[in-house]
Amino acid sequence: MTESPTPSRRTPPLPDEAAVIARAADGDRVAFTQLMEHYQSACYGLAWRLLHDADQAADATQDGFMHAYKAISSYRGGVFRSWLLRITANASYDILRRAQRRPTTVLPDPEDGAPELPDIHAVNPVEEATKSELYRYLEVALRELPPDQRAAVVLCDVYGMDYNEVAAMTESALGTVKSRIHRGRLRLRELMAEHRELFTR
Amino acid sequence: MLNLNHPDDERLSGLASHDTDARADSSLTAHVSNCDRCTDLVSELGALRASLAELPDLVPSRPLRLLPEVEASPSSAGWVRRIFAPMLTAGAALALVGMVGTSLPVLDGMASGGAALTSEDAAAEELGGGAPNAAGGADGESVDDLGTQRSVKPEPSSAFLGAGDGGRDVDTAGGGDDEGESLTRELPAERSPWPMVLFTGLAVMILAALLRWVLVPRAG
Repeated sequence: MTESPTPSRRTPPLPDEAAVIARAADGDRVAFTQLMEHYQSACYGLAWRLLHDADQAADATQDGFMHAYKAISSYRGGVFRSWLLRITANASYDILRRAQRRPTTVLPDPEDGAPELPDIHAVNPVEEATKSELYRYLEVALRELPPDQRAAVVLCDVYGMDYNEVAAMTESALGTVKSRIHRGRLRLRELMAEHRELFTR
Repeated sequence: MLNLNHPDDERLSGLASHDTDARADSSLTAHVSNCDRCTDLVSELGALRASLAELPDLVPSRPLRLLPEVEASPSSAGWVRRIFAPMLTAGAALALVGMVGTSLPVLDGMASGGAALTSEDAAAEELGGGAPNAAGGADGESVDDLGTQRSVKPEPSSAFLGAGDGGRDVDTAGGGDDEGESLTRELPAERSPWPMVLFTGLAVMILAALLRWVLVPRAG
């Protein structure tokens, strides 16, 4: 099992999150909107990293919100952000599977020209230059991974899901998931070799 | 790249992510603690993981819909949503029929003067009253409004059809026909149903819009 990485520089929980969740679970649409608005960047980030397509990522995020709306009345505690991210990941995978079933759909090609990266500075305007640079190189390197490895690394290392969760989500065997994560991580290390000095040690 | 002297890199990656099975592997941990190369690799993979875990959230590329349009209380909103379109269509159809029906006498009047009232009354009698034979002497006759679709068809009987086909229709524009004049006199003065149809149609449309407005909350 992996230890969940501590998220930093990310959307923190709402100050009165438990109360807002309780109201949303009771059908308060304003409370639900407040939650989704608060976490939309977190969910979109995950969807974008899985799909690498702005439109598809936006669709997946919205789909996730719709699923969350139906499911929030049965939400039983835990970290709300993680709960919502799992729903978003499933929605992203649904889109990915639909795209794979339609051969005419053009999947984003990691080799295709300049990477379409969102503006990371927009999220953290005061982000140190080195960190921003590191994140940018990491995003580019992630795109270089084979899709299976990328999904496993994103879900496990970027979003802190454990192996079992990733296996269930990607409909893969536990051993396969572990292998993808380790190989993906080693490949990332190679891709980031030139920028090793940017890592925090 | 398999190095016989070092553990497999994937196992070292497991150690970097604190996998329980990797940490429980004493030969692996013993090797790493005595091997600079493997220690560096584990450390580097750990740093990579830490950086990945810091990747920031991303601003959506476009404004997102945060709430489903489907209402949480389908008991009221659900059926309103289902009947809204049919109700609106039915209302519009009624209003259209009513409007055409109401406006035709005016057109008749423009075309044939005061005789329009005769045809209007006949139409009211025949369609509204539901007693096609009530006009007594007019039985089997038809009042033709300049050949428009509003020609009154008292009864789809063979006698009537035969009469119609035979050209015995009373032409209100002619005005000189005795049968036509007697028809005009004998018909009871009855209000045209068309304005009622028009208003009913409009009322149905307004009701549909009101129901939707009140019972189906707007998204967002």
